[in-house]
Amino acid sequence: MPAAGAPGVGDRLGRRRFGGWLLASTVATMAFLTLASFFVGTVPIPFRVVAAILLHQASNGAVFSSPCAGTVPAFRCAAFTAIVWDLRVPAVLLALIAGAALGLAGGTLQGVFRNPLADPYLFGLSAGAAVGAAGLYVFNIGLRESNITLPLFAFLGAVVTGAAILAIAGGRLGSVETLLLSGVALSYLLSGVLSLMLLYNPFGSLQVSFWLLGGLTGATWDRVGVAFGGLLVAGSLLVVASREVNVLQLGDEVALSLGVEVARVRTRLILLASLATGFAVAFTGVIGFVGLISPHIVRRIFGPDYRVVLPGSALVGGIFLLGASDLAQTILPQTVLPVGVLTAFAGAPFFLYLLQRKRRQGTGGR
Amino acid sequence: MDGGLTLEVDDLVVGYGDRPALRGLSLRVEAGEVLALTGPNGSGKTTLLKSVLGLVTPERGTIRVGGTDVGGLARRERARRIAWVPQSEAPMDNVPLLEYVLYGRHPHIGGFERENAYDAVRVRDALAAVDLTDRADAGILELSGGERQRALLARALAQDTPILLLDEPTSSLDIGHQLDLLDRIRALSRGEGRTVVTAMHDLNLAARYADRIAVLDHGRLVALGPPSAVLSPTLLRDVWGVTADLRHDARTGLPFLVPRLPPAIPPEAGSATARPGPIHVLGGGGAAVSTLQRLVDEGFRVTAGALNLLDSDSEAAQSLGVPFAAEMPFAPLSDEVRAENRRFMLAATAIVITPFAVGPSNLGNLEDVAGLGPGSPPVILFVQPPWTLRDFAAGRVTPIINDLLARGASPVQGVDELLALLRARTLRARDPPVADAIRSVG
Amino acid sequence: MSLNGAVPGASRQVSLALVAVISLVVAGGAIGATAAYFELRPSATHPGASAVTVTDDLGRTVTAPSNPSRVVALSPSIVDSLVRLGLRDRLVGVDCSSPAFGGLSADYDASQTAAWHLTSAMCVQVSPLNSEALVNLSPTLVLSSTIVSVSAVQEIANTLHIPVIMLQPVSVSGIVTDVQLLMSLFPTGSLGPTLVASMQRELGNVSVLDANLSYNDAQLPSLLLTYAVNPVGSTAPGYWTFGPGTFGQSLAELAGGSSISANVTIPWPELSGSQVLLAAPSLIVYGTGFGIDLTLYAQGPDWSSFTAVQSGHAYAIDSTLITEPGPTTVLVGLPDLIGLLHPSAHS
Repeated sequence: MPAAGAPGVGDRLGRRRFGGWLLASTVATMAFLTLASFFVGTVPIPFRVVAAILLHQASNGAVFSSPCAGTVPAFRCAAFTAIVWDLRVPAVLLALIAGAALGLAGGTLQGVFRNPLADPYLFGLSAGAAVGAAGLYVFNIGLRESNITLPLFAFLGAVVTGAAILAIAGGRLGSVETLLLSGVALSYLLSGVLSLMLLYNPFGSLQVSFWLLGGLTGATWDRVGVAFGGLLVAGSLLVVASREVNVLQLGDEVALSLGVEVARVRTRLILLASLATGFAVAFTGVIGFVGLISPHIVRRIFGPDYRVVLPGSALVGGIFLLGASDLAQTILPQTVLPVGVLTAFAGAPFFLYLLQRKRRQGTGGR
Repeated sequence: MDGGLTLEVDDLVVGYGDRPALRGLSLRVEAGEVLALTGPNGSGKTTLLKSVLGLVTPERGTIRVGGTDVGGLARRERARRIAWVPQSEAPMDNVPLLEYVLYGRHPHIGGFERENAYDAVRVRDALAAVDLTDRADAGILELSGGERQRALLARALAQDTPILLLDEPTSSLDIGHQLDLLDRIRALSRGEGRTVVTAMHDLNLAARYADRIAVLDHGRLVALGPPSAVLSPTLLRDVWGVTADLRHDARTGLPFLVPRLPPAIPPEAGSATARPGPIHVLGGGGAAVSTLQRLVDEGFRVTAGALNLLDSDSEAAQSLGVPFAAEMPFAPLSDEVRAENRRFMLAATAIVITPFAVGPSNLGNLEDVAGLGPGSPPVILFVQPPWTLRDFAAGRVTPIINDLLARGASPVQGVDELLALLRARTLRARDPPVADAIRSVG
Repeated sequence: MSLNGAVPGASRQVSLALVAVISLVVAGGAIGATAAYFELRPSATHPGASAVTVTDDLGRTVTAPSNPSRVVALSPSIVDSLVRLGLRDRLVGVDCSSPAFGGLSADYDASQTAAWHLTSAMCVQVSPLNSEALVNLSPTLVLSSTIVSVSAVQEIANTLHIPVIMLQPVSVSGIVTDVQLLMSLFPTGSLGPTLVASMQRELGNVSVLDANLSYNDAQLPSLLLTYAVNPVGSTAPGYWTFGPGTFGQSLAELAGGSSISANVTIPWPELSGSQVLLAAPSLIVYGTGFGIDLTLYAQGPDWSSFTAVQSGHAYAIDSTLITEPGPTTVLVGLPDLIGLLHPSAHS
């Protein structure tokens, strides 16, 4: 290796002060919550049975050849197996993926707009995606809704919304307040369009509460796979672009002088945020505030470096949405609350807190 | 970095609507020189810098670095040639200084690469060059103003470019930090041979630190050359509309400009009767400079006397347009001059005696005040510093001063008190009822 | 590039980012393959059961087991049909809005719903659909209306391999068709034909009514058939009614009324006070129940200004008789409505 004069300093640069143990404990939290979530649902299933079914299915029958033996009758076991393996596991994975996608999109938007209040929900990206996906049901445009066309149309809806936000923001990013109000107005407009679609909804093909408040009950293995694909593409490209997001924080002109093609990068980042949002919303409906909260938590714990904030937001977003989903199934007996209600309960006060803090600090800080 | 490269700007036109910011500007900056870019607000300094950086798109013209047209280069390539220190930067996240300076390496690091040891060396060197090595782990928002400005410079240094552009890098700093930062920039240019172009408002700092000064006015280059060739009262008047005197630093021989303060009330603004006075000021040896200046600024008509030519007070009187009884340099006061001085005294509404050093040659000033008869103008007397310290006439000064005080001369501690006194008297003289009313209320 | 080539650090390490991307892609591929593998496993079928293929009200072709033993019916009207067909014993689950749970249709005739014998263990939340609870009932057939979204239904059918038949009649005769569809799935003995016959008798009476009306060249009374109201002071005051393409619209026509909402564009419109004033229906029939009564309608916009109200031609009807597309509506609701619209003909 070069640079004989650089021992020590190279080491200091090579490692970032992540707090390795913090990262490890976050991942551990996610792993634990994921496992625990398999046991959470409206139908009570014995712990032992759930564990046996999971191992049986994951090993493709090699372990626990009859998972319910001695505990429940065979026909109950079939139902339990379907519930655990075909409903719960996909729902848990979809919660993780959608939460990660929304957290990632939120972190990206906050970086692009240098605005700590940016969020795919508040900026209407989610509503745009929902309009795109729901439009596929409502308008018979010759394409059948499927696990591929749905996220693509949601992506399209989000992209159009993202372009509108960029256009409203203009070349200069304007003030935080202007941007926020424009985004919220756009979000309202799109929610209106969505509501109208639901109203005209010819044969009840759209579930109102699902699209407006979100839900994870539509999770299937196929959808988990598709959503994960979308997250993977958006996430990896965003992680690669994260250093540019860092430089963007210095302001457009400084970023340009440091070799960042600001307009192109901004467009690309919004495209990727739309991709992540679209693939989440297509299968979960509109879930608010995940993208707002997650990056803030990450910044608080790991600092402002977007190379950490973006993947971290995905991690925390997944944990947050999964936790909300578990709560949504346990607060009321035998009832699944729309998960968006739960995230709103946590997110709206947090949003107000941020707004308060921002007002106290002036326009500068985070 | 392979040392500096030339920066050539050829026939640059940058338009903002129908009032172009740059109108066919051509300029060649030699490799390794420090060029100061000056000119009034809106003259196009910042626009020129931003054009070179590619932040604004010129209508016409080319910009070459080391002979390469940078207009055709990708951002990243451009950023490897030209670095920028903005005037200031919007507040951002509290990034550790080390990371912040590392942002300067951005144009050198590919999308799929990460920082390596060489980047670390450049960052370390940049921090050392601005003396911030110890603060490497501090958050950028925790730095003081001077440190923040040096951090900006360090980031540009880490960018490792042959050309360094600075936009008024010292505008938000105190004088100590200004000099410190400019010293560092100058040293960088000398040491590493970087080509430095810096926009500056302060002509004297420009003269001190730049190899050459370029003066822009209305988007055109109006002067270019070494400070001694460029700086002149004429230039200041023509470009900035400022009247100034040119002086030379006795130690370095560098030119510097001393702007004159304009009178608060322009001479033509009112008739003689509208302005209070005249106030006659006695001085010598520079004791009256501030008094004369302040009185003129406050709009008083002022006379002075009797002063030796070439003396600081007489130069001040001349530049302020104050009439005075003038004696030849270093000569004792002649009878003619003393007579003229007495005429000024009698015509005045008040006589001010500034704390000038009194020796045998100018004792006549004080003797003539003491010799004025009844009905003569009131006398105002500076009593700080004590007259005993100003008496170089074998003890003949103090008795005269005491005599004046005994006969009702008003003692004042300084110029502010003098002005307060004069304003009160002027008011009373002009409009007695109002003055009385004020007094009775007071 | 001379600017960069000269520096000692020109050979750069491949970044962590790239490593992360590659490992993510590999991991993703592995997960996807696993998911596909599990997805492609042959699903458990219903051994030994013969199958029936039917086309449901949404035009979906569904293959269902013949004479299924565990049925979930996600609509009170379907429960109504099943009970009248003597199939209560097949019923293992119903939607939570069904009468026994104090839901939307709590006003079903108590004597009638008592015969349904619904228990809370049978309750399945439909909005959003609680799939776990549904699967937990181990149904071999799900009969649903569009209170459950088609997409959710499709999920059940596709991923859990439970056949779902959508029963959403858009006309009164569609109710009869749906009963006949159920008869093709279940052996009903004489109960099925008898039920169909009695419903067709009511529809036959309508034909006689139509003939009479046209013979007398009578003007059909213009009608507002409303089943709910948002009183003045609420966000959107107005009267909920049936639009085109709904069985309620067809019910109003069969009863010999000219519905004032026949030409609106929305299937389930809410009419404002001024819309009703403008249409000036000569008759208003308002559904009561679910906590909605005349007192509430009287607080509706412009209620007392309506001609029908002023002339005393506003009549109450049990909401369950006009809002649930089941046999009860044909057997009881339709004749009642005719009685209100054409008292003489009815007698």
